[in-house]
Amino acid sequence: MKWDPWKTIFQKNLSLIFILCIFLILPFVLPYTALATEILIFALATIAFDLLLGYTGIMLFCQASFFGTGAYITGLLIHHFHLNIFMTMGAAILGAAFLALLFGYMATQRAGTYSVLLTLAFNELIFFIAYQWKTLTGGSDGLRDIPRPNLEIPGLLNVNLFSETRFYFFALFFFIFSFILIKKITESPFGKVLQGIRENETRAQAIGYNTRLFKVVAFIIGGIFMGLAGNLYAMFMNFVDINHVAFDTSGKIVMMELIGGMGTLFGPILGAGIVTLASDIACAYWERWLLILGAVFVAFVLFARGGVWGLIENLIGWVRVPRPEKE
Amino acid sequence: MLLNLVIVQIFNGLVLGMIYVLLAMGLSIVWGMMNIINFSHGLFFAIGAYLAYTIFSVTKNFFIGLILIPIGTALIGILLERTLLRRLYGLNILYQILMTFGIALMGRELIIILYGPIGKSFVPPDILSGTISLGALFFPTYRIFLLFVSILLTIGMWLFIEKTKYGSIIRAGTEDSEMVSALGINISRVFTLIFGLSMAIAGFSGVLSAPIRGVEPMMGEAILGICFAVVIIGGMGSFLGAIIGGVIVGLSQSMVALIMPSASIVVIFLVMALILLIKPRGLLGIRD
Repeated sequence: MKWDPWKTIFQKNLSLIFILCIFLILPFVLPYTALATEILIFALATIAFDLLLGYTGIMLFCQASFFGTGAYITGLLIHHFHLNIFMTMGAAILGAAFLALLFGYMATQRAGTYSVLLTLAFNELIFFIAYQWKTLTGGSDGLRDIPRPNLEIPGLLNVNLFSETRFYFFALFFFIFSFILIKKITESPFGKVLQGIRENETRAQAIGYNTRLFKVVAFIIGGIFMGLAGNLYAMFMNFVDINHVAFDTSGKIVMMELIGGMGTLFGPILGAGIVTLASDIACAYWERWLLILGAVFVAFVLFARGGVWGLIENLIGWVRVPRPEKE
Repeated sequence: MLLNLVIVQIFNGLVLGMIYVLLAMGLSIVWGMMNIINFSHGLFFAIGAYLAYTIFSVTKNFFIGLILIPIGTALIGILLERTLLRRLYGLNILYQILMTFGIALMGRELIIILYGPIGKSFVPPDILSGTISLGALFFPTYRIFLLFVSILLTIGMWLFIEKTKYGSIIRAGTEDSEMVSALGINISRVFTLIFGLSMAIAGFSGVLSAPIRGVEPMMGEAILGICFAVVIIGGMGSFLGAIIGGVIVGLSQSMVALIMPSASIVVIFLVMALILLIKPRGLLGIRD
């Protein structure tokens, strides 16, 4: 048989191509482009969280502090220094990664519920710092006046990103790049160890892995991509809201993760899409629609812990395999 | 003059601290025994405060609420445990955390629907308003009452846990709930009662603190993070730890407020981080 390199590449990356196609169509299907950008950025934060919860089994509630720190660093650097877009991105990622190292180190000292409690307390710490340090962060008013920087590679390229569509594709590039990286990480030997920790940490230790080190590294990787998401979000919104660093944002990411389906990478993207779209639609009708979202979330916890992705997989399995009682 | 200010702030810190102690006790018992981090603990605090507001504006009697509301929040808690949380026992602890998180979100929205998004103020009842003077110092009567009642309740809880048969079940359950169940004790009923008790205290502290801080929809979430810090400082499942942690947090918050008011909440979490670095299990933690 003739070897066809294109076909192999196509088959190997079917899922990636599928996602790329959806995100290429998305801004033109949705009522406005900004909604697609919002989905994209939260999908990025949620797949980063999926690496932690879905693949490593670490629950945390300090997503917002990584996301928000990325956003604040970006905002401050653009507001005060008008730095190059890639430099702000690098700084946001570094900041979030450093915070993740710090929190990861502290939180992994203890197992299970204790570490969940710690991460929430850390998130509160960051929130109150942002809330009270008004001269730096603007406090509850948020950080305003963050003009979107140009996409500038000195000597090569200088494109402004003012148009929402242009910014969407800029963000899409980084989303796809991050998705490929995270997917590669989950498939790598390192990722397999993380999954081993999720299944049985004691056993992973018994084999000889320093599980705490792996968990801290998972924290850092998660922090990096959440910081990147925060960076994109600050540039997208042109301001940083105090809410981005608050418990609410952590909760939102947790809900997207669970409703989408954890440990699948596709589920969280789906979850980010569903929650963002639903909130955009429902907000117009009822301001307090979070009550419904909360109820839906509780229903998923009770009855469909695999999330929407799990339901879809069940459905596919149910359609494909003919039921035995059928004649 | 400065000394007077410091004494008043120590008093205020104790008042604040005792509210944290009451909340952290319940949180810590549920955590130690059932291995559930109850994210809806703050919600029950808020429910207590809001019900106190309603009952007080209808009946003009604060004390009816103080007695009835804890019973009410206990019943809601028991209902919650029986209908929702119970289904998740035996699964990964993650789902119980997520469940209480979802309930807290729903509860907060429900409060906003019922009472509106803006907070309401709440004056202490006539008998407890005014101040009591002690030399050159004046202490609000209501705060003295709060301090007195909460210390009484804490002592009561201590006697209950240390001296009664149920208390010994709780202490044993914190060490190893499976073993307690193997000894022929209906652990499932104990869980329900513990959860109810914890919610009763949360509701009670909500009623107590309503006249001081008023009511607003986010009050539960705001205090939940602080209570987590208290429990972490005190150590998981430790009753004495919750008391010490609460007092430390209350005092450090009020003392820092004297020097730098804007840092008064941040300092709680810094103290927590510091204690964690020195003693990873918290001051009196029993186990991980």
